[in-house]
Amino acid sequence: MMQMSSQTAGSRWRDPAMWMAAPAVIFMLTVFVYPFIHGLILSFQPLEGGMLSNYIKFFNTENLWMTIGVTLKLALPATLINILIAVPVAYRLRHKTPYQKIATTILVIPITLGTVLIAEGMLTYFGPKGWFAHILQLLHVYEGAIRLTHNYAGVLISLVISGFPFAFLLILSYITGIDPVLPRAAATLGATPFNQFRYVILPLILPGLAMAFCLSFVQAFSVFPSAVLLGSPAGATRVISIAAYEAAFENYDYSMASAVAMIMGAVQLGVVVIVLGLRNLFYRGPVSGGKG
Amino acid sequence: MKPDFKTLRLDRVTRRFGAGKTTDAAQVAALDGLQMDIARGEFIALLGPSGCGKSTALNCIAGLLPLSDGGIYLDEQRIDTLPPEQRGFGMVFQNYALFPHMTVAKNVGFGLLMRGVPSAEIQTRVKRALDLVQLASHMNKLPGQLSGGQQQRVAIARAIVIEPPLILMDEPLSNLDAKLRLEMRSEIRRIHMELGRTTLYVTHDQDEALSLADRIVVMKDGKVQQIGTPPEVYGQPSNLAVARFMGYRNELLLDVVGQDAQSVALAGPGVNLNGIPKTRLQGRAAVSIRPEEFSIVAAGQDAANSLSARVESVEYYGRESLFMLRTQDNTRLYVRAEGQATPGETIRVAVDANRVLAYPIEQVA
Repeated sequence: MMQMSSQTAGSRWRDPAMWMAAPAVIFMLTVFVYPFIHGLILSFQPLEGGMLSNYIKFFNTENLWMTIGVTLKLALPATLINILIAVPVAYRLRHKTPYQKIATTILVIPITLGTVLIAEGMLTYFGPKGWFAHILQLLHVYEGAIRLTHNYAGVLISLVISGFPFAFLLILSYITGIDPVLPRAAATLGATPFNQFRYVILPLILPGLAMAFCLSFVQAFSVFPSAVLLGSPAGATRVISIAAYEAAFENYDYSMASAVAMIMGAVQLGVVVIVLGLRNLFYRGPVSGGKG
Repeated sequence: MKPDFKTLRLDRVTRRFGAGKTTDAAQVAALDGLQMDIARGEFIALLGPSGCGKSTALNCIAGLLPLSDGGIYLDEQRIDTLPPEQRGFGMVFQNYALFPHMTVAKNVGFGLLMRGVPSAEIQTRVKRALDLVQLASHMNKLPGQLSGGQQQRVAIARAIVIEPPLILMDEPLSNLDAKLRLEMRSEIRRIHMELGRTTLYVTHDQDEALSLADRIVVMKDGKVQQIGTPPEVYGQPSNLAVARFMGYRNELLLDVVGQDAQSVALAGPGVNLNGIPKTRLQGRAAVSIRPEEFSIVAAGQDAANSLSARVESVEYYGRESLFMLRTQDNTRLYVRAEGQATPGETIRVAVDANRVLAYPIEQVA
């Protein structure tokens, strides 16, 4: 037994279980690590100038560095809205009922539609002559011109529609993972349904919410089709991926495009690191109430 | 929410499960017409096999399950329409249900926090409750750092710190090992005596019920079988189901050959016994006898109220042995007694007529 536990590095390679990870490792190397390193190196080989000239150019050109702020201004609110709506909805739907199944299915359907399809639908539905504007005007809810496409609002709505199912499914799984006896115990101790949520459910799902925030944010930050189709790609929704696209396919400057992509990745990483850093402040342990 | 009460009255408390409306009488009743009055200070045990409705009863009283029928009253106030947070009963759950993200002190103080008790008072009361369960030194630990027995005591402290008029316990000892179970049993009894409040305790362990309770409610298939003190339930089970559950392992089917108010004469192949009729009997009867009520009759001696049977096997238990016997009509008989016998031989065993309980044959199902 002693010899078993003190395996040498050599014998580990002979362990067939180790090789089970091989497909995943190969996959990561070929579709993530290699392209990433390739892009990173490419970004330091600009068409003209020194090694860092792409980056210097990015931060000295207004319609390039502005894209960071524009994208953050879309991705952060969209992510927050998605999480804030998904939490109460998932909390309401936490019990297994036929009703829950139907509601979950309806809420999740947008995930199966591509962003382009959603954008197409929104262009007609939310357009100035669309159903949405018609109904609002018929009901005299809002009399003025309603512009929800080809601007910031259009992209934000599309990000909410396409991002919500993802956030909802993640959060639903966190909430249903909590031992249902815990809120019941809180109830017998005098906690109203709101306090059961505030003191028991919320603290237990906070680490999960941080994860859901990161994943949703990264998705929203790389917005491209809806920013072009539903936004104003030259102005309010000129997101960072548009800048990268322009560099690569309009200017044929792959090196610059790689630099933009690297900056995009760095911003995403920065936000994720901050959020996960905050997550460490919360309780992260088992979410059941005792020895089961 | 009342600080205390004189009587908790359960009036035909019924809970049905299944599709559709639970007030529909056609549905299966998990709890069917539980009717009893519980006085302040009593320790009541709900006893029965799993699925008998005892936990359903507890959840109905706690407010975690709505009733399908009947009502629950604290003195004159009807409480079954109140949500659990307004009933103010303390509950100890089977898996403790401690909040894993809160320290022991926060767990115990939670009920007080919800009641808006000032934080200084919360501290002193939490300290006192933890002293009572002897866990004051673990205040700042998380539940995950405690052993099962300690978690269980935190759960008790959390339930009693709000000084509830009624404490509900749902099989609180079933997740503990045998030694700890015995320790905690005395602990629960001690805490009950110290607080002088009312405790409703659900268990499937008759030893637990007998040793803890002032009164035992024996349940089966959602219906109350018997309500009585431990000696009553142990010594005089009201029907065959209760008898079986209380450890009357032997069941003989015999002919009734004579009966008056206090005794009944029963006979079968090689068997002649006098016993106590639990109700009016006719034709045949089912007789319940505990294994330890028998004694072995020495060879050659004469004994009243005895029967002969062949020894099949013997298990040695120290002072006594458990003998497995076969009667002449091939019924298995368990006898736990002092003495010796070897498999294959035929012995006589005697039993006091007061300990032979005869029930109507219809109850054998």
